[in-house]
Amino acid sequence: MIRPDEIKMSAEESGKWGMVIDQDLCTGCQACVAACSMENNVPFVGDAFSPSNGEVDINYGRSLHWIRIERFWEGEYPEVKMTPHQPMMCQQCGEAPCEPVCPAFATVHSEAEQLNLMVYNRCIGTRYCGNNCPYQVRSFNWRDYERPEPLPNQLNPDVTVRRRGVMEKCTFCIQRIHKAQDAAKAEGREVADGEFTTACAQACPANAIVFGRIDNPESLVSQLAHQGHGVKHLEELGTQPHVTYFKGG
Amino acid sequence: MSNKFSRRDFLKLTGVGAATTAVLTGCGPASRYTKREPYMQMPEYTYNGHSTYYATTCRECAAGCGLIVRTSQGRAIKTEGNANNPLNLGKTCARGQATLHGLYNPDRVTDPMKGGSAMTWDEATQVVADALKNNKPGEIAFLMGLAPDHLFDFVSDLASATGINAPVRFNALDMFDAQATLSKAAENLFGQSGMPLFDVAGAQFVLSFGANFLETWLSPVSYTRGFAGLREAKTKMRGKFIQFEARMSATAAKADEWMPAKPGTEALVALAIGKLAAEIKGGSMPRAFSDVEPKDAAEKSGIKLETLEHIAEMFAHSGGALAIPGGAALGQSNGLAVAEAVLALNALADNFGKAGGVYFSAVAPTQSAAMGQRGASAQQMQEFIQNMKDGKYKVLFIHGANPVFELPAAMGFKEAMKGVEQVISFSTFPDETAAEATYVFPDHHGLESWGYQRVFTGAAQSVLSGLQPVVSPFYNTRATVDVLLAAGQIAGGKFAMSFMDEVEFLRGKIAPLMSESDGLFSAPDLNTFMAYFQQHGGWWKTTDGRTAPATADVLSKSLKATEAEFAGEGEFFFVPFVSPTLAEAGANKPWLQELPDPTTTVMWNSWVAINPETAHELGVDNNDVVKVISEFGEVEVSVYKYPAIRPDTIAIPYGQGHTAYGRYAANRGVNPADLLGANFNEAGDLAFAGVKVKVEKTGKKSVISRLESMMGVYGVGMGEEH
Repeated sequence: MIRPDEIKMSAEESGKWGMVIDQDLCTGCQACVAACSMENNVPFVGDAFSPSNGEVDINYGRSLHWIRIERFWEGEYPEVKMTPHQPMMCQQCGEAPCEPVCPAFATVHSEAEQLNLMVYNRCIGTRYCGNNCPYQVRSFNWRDYERPEPLPNQLNPDVTVRRRGVMEKCTFCIQRIHKAQDAAKAEGREVADGEFTTACAQACPANAIVFGRIDNPESLVSQLAHQGHGVKHLEELGTQPHVTYFKGG
Repeated sequence: MSNKFSRRDFLKLTGVGAATTAVLTGCGPASRYTKREPYMQMPEYTYNGHSTYYATTCRECAAGCGLIVRTSQGRAIKTEGNANNPLNLGKTCARGQATLHGLYNPDRVTDPMKGGSAMTWDEATQVVADALKNNKPGEIAFLMGLAPDHLFDFVSDLASATGINAPVRFNALDMFDAQATLSKAAENLFGQSGMPLFDVAGAQFVLSFGANFLETWLSPVSYTRGFAGLREAKTKMRGKFIQFEARMSATAAKADEWMPAKPGTEALVALAIGKLAAEIKGGSMPRAFSDVEPKDAAEKSGIKLETLEHIAEMFAHSGGALAIPGGAALGQSNGLAVAEAVLALNALADNFGKAGGVYFSAVAPTQSAAMGQRGASAQQMQEFIQNMKDGKYKVLFIHGANPVFELPAAMGFKEAMKGVEQVISFSTFPDETAAEATYVFPDHHGLESWGYQRVFTGAAQSVLSGLQPVVSPFYNTRATVDVLLAAGQIAGGKFAMSFMDEVEFLRGKIAPLMSESDGLFSAPDLNTFMAYFQQHGGWWKTTDGRTAPATADVLSKSLKATEAEFAGEGEFFFVPFVSPTLAEAGANKPWLQELPDPTTTVMWNSWVAINPETAHELGVDNNDVVKVISEFGEVEVSVYKYPAIRPDTIAIPYGQGHTAYGRYAANRGVNPADLLGANFNEAGDLAFAGVKVKVEKTGKKSVISRLESMMGVYGVGMGEEH
């Protein structure tokens, strides 16, 4: 068994973009989930009975949430407690378990942004990546989900729409990253900290999510991440996740 | 099609198609109307592939949060909070995000309708004109929602000019917040009316009695920011928070301690804490707390005396103690006594008008005086319904409210509609009330609309949030103000208002703000002022407009240590609670349906929350359908074994159970209001948490979808998968 402290890990070594989530502030209100779905053209699955097996798709974990809010129970009534809400999305691992198992090179590591990319038109739907993700944050398009007119008017033109048979997951709103970088480049400057943020962080009424450059020690997200009481999930697997959680309480 | 048809040609062709069909907005700062234009005549601020951002106001609830809507090629793509609006400071809730699923909902009312068939707007306007002209003013009534305020002002002006009945406003969230009770209690204790504002962010120790302020209560985005301020240990210690309620709500889930007090004993608990804390503080015992015996309160509420003493000690010693009454604790027969008892705790904490304490909300611009309650209480609605039944109204106009769904069926709104000759709904969606109406003359969606919304509570400043169309109307809908103006012209006499259109009315209403001091902006002329108003998404003061309640003799008032009375013979207390994600009108937005409930993770459905022990005793398991019976009605709903609810209490979320309202809402789940009767508390609020129910097995099973593990469901994980 490898002890966590034996693994040499440092966000600065591999990371660029990162997130800090304060579970003490998260109220589980789902604003981030809604914001993410609106920004990233995530379809809704619905609870219709599927024609093939007469059961409901989302009951098999077949909903498409790029971010979900986990909560667990501790104890029994009346000493029962809900654990702090835990927003869970792709941790943008530095050493991502999903990447090496893809036979089609559909999920690859971006050298430029140090993010875990999903190339939809390479994906052949083996679901090996989802199987190998310890965070269970990948969702698969089991069907072509219906978006009756005129709902498609709302689709974000910056984000590809996925079809059946394709895996998808959180991208850290890479379209927003690119837009901010383009704008900064056109003005001959660097992207400033806080100039843009991901859809989830932007919506969060409690400001529980902070996004930014973890390779910049001056940025808010690095300062928070280095306060010392943050944890990274399943760090002992050596995945080098780029999301730091404050457990709260 | 020939083989030589190249990709380039294809793009050219589709480009032409797009150019002729695209819908562009023309609502720049100075222009008034939206129009469709081909790309050849692109307005100068619109570029292909570039987004245009408009400031407007969210209409999903009546709080009035500012939005910035990203539009592209005339389509609304994404809503974000308006970072400058003092109410929400750039943040939104899930409903604000999903408002686009209302705008582009596949089930909107597309044209003016009579029965199932469409008519022209000329015919519709004539119908409204005839309704105004051919009836006595006293026979014409308006029932409106809490948003938008400019329409309410318009109808109020129309009413005072013509003598028709003043508009009545109603909203189910108001009812479940028990706002009438809260404001009445504040008036009784402080001798002035106004909506109390609780500065959660500045507090150190918060006691909440049923107030679901992280969900739908009063102004959830603003209160969530307050909660974050309470927890963040930047300039002070991390604040503590204790919630008293029978079922652990999403708000209580964030509390340090959840106290499952027996329903109906909240007043006793609050007064007992007050008494114990006053004893710790020393001095003579305030009269307010003299009526209670802590030991008795502990026994009746099921909370140990030591626990109460411990809480009282923290309350007495904390530098910033705050007590908040709200929600189900007030929606009981003795709700007013509960609200007064909890507010009195703040007098003991001496926090009136101080950081972390209780204020009165700032009076919004264009509002003449402080207002305690915007909407009618359920009891006032009962009187309104009685008037309808008695045939006092010949014409009823309904806008922004869906009383057939929102009010308990037992109150009889639907039946009372038969007593009104003509019901004209202005609903954007085919809701239950519109289905019963004689005519539906659809208003634009909020994102297609002009208007303003007064920020009623939640911001320190006095705020008027402004609405402007971010896209041109998608369907053949028309602004209700414009319909009434046009009809008024036809009807003539006092009904003929002098405004050219809705925008001119709006400009007239905000014009007086130009001469106000301490504004965010001012301008020498109205055109410029209006342009700034649209650009900023409203107008607000830069100074703190909150006021301190008079403190003088709150503690010397005699407060009643009463217990609530419950209607019905059933063995379970019944708590209907508003779904935090759907609220009263979110069920037709598919992504809101797909959002997991924060406490149970259930999606797309209703459930009845039952303590696992109780479920075991009843012999029911998850997904077993049970019949919940009150003396007013019954519903059949699947069981969710909820670990954090009193064994003697069951709860059903409010928000589903629509019979109309589009494909995503209709015939899904149950409406817990069907179990409620017309019982009111002293302030006129519905005693919605004052009903006892029976639970019966049906032997049926219906699986409710949820995000969390389905262990045991369909036999998953039990070795019996199929």
